[in-house]
Amino acid sequence: MIYPQTMLTVADNTGAKKIMCIRVLGGNRKYGKIGDTIIGVVKEALPNMPIKKSDIVRAVVVRTSKTIRRADGMYIRFDDNAAVIVNTENNPRGTRVFGPVAREIRDKNFSKIVSLAPEVL
Amino acid sequence: MRIEKCYFCSSPCYPGHGIMFVRNDSKTFRFCRSKCHRNFNKKRNPRKVAWTKAYRKTRGKELAVDSTFEFEKRRNRPTKYDRNLMGKTIMAMQRVQSIKEAREGRFHANRMKDAKAEKVKVARVEIEKHAEVLAPAVARREEVMQNVLDSARARIATRRVTKERAVARGSQNMEE
Repeated sequence: MIYPQTMLTVADNTGAKKIMCIRVLGGNRKYGKIGDTIIGVVKEALPNMPIKKSDIVRAVVVRTSKTIRRADGMYIRFDDNAAVIVNTENNPRGTRVFGPVAREIRDKNFSKIVSLAPEVL
Repeated sequence: MRIEKCYFCSSPCYPGHGIMFVRNDSKTFRFCRSKCHRNFNKKRNPRKVAWTKAYRKTRGKELAVDSTFEFEKRRNRPTKYDRNLMGKTIMAMQRVQSIKEAREGRFHANRMKDAKAEKVKVARVEIEKHAEVLAPAVARREEVMQNVLDSARARIATRRVTKERAVARGSQNMEE
């Protein structure tokens, strides 16, 4: 459940470490789920990297600590809320993705993120 | 689809039941129900929670080391369907199950060997400790209770005296 003001860890090597959600894209949404694109503001970033603090970025939610329900009735939950920073073509801006990624990302055609992820669950 | 084992209580976790938790290092934990999930969230060690399989096995309450457990291993290599092999496997499963049950039964019988005698002993000690509770129900009235207690005490005292006498006599005999 990603609302505006939610802090998410960044699961890639763009240099941003934490982003704060300021908008969930796609109609009049109450909250974002795994696979949703959000607009965020960079709150913490590593020095000397392309993405700076207070930059406005697009990102895709890849993990949520709120359970998600699969079609087969299984519920799955992750450790944290995490996102991967993407450009307007939905390609990741970093070259690596850290940590497991939910399978819902593949269903939403973020195939580049899926291929970079070490594990898809 | 496969029937997973609950991380906490080791019971079977059927499709559509329970919850899966994925840690950031990609390790997955399946839980059969919210009870197990909740206990995991409380950081409880399943080996220290009495109702789990892990606890019972570590305490020697159940069969822990046995060759029948070898069949329960997770195999990630898919095998091609073969009707004969399937039939044989099903037969083998039943056979393994019956062997397992027999061994478990033997283990339980062995563990419970002295339980009955122990139970009787414990009960006897308890009766001796709380002999006054065995007074009749009318003893609710204080005086009656007092009478009963007095008589009981007197009885115990006489018994003790006779016993002491007997002991004294016995020791005298020994000296002689």
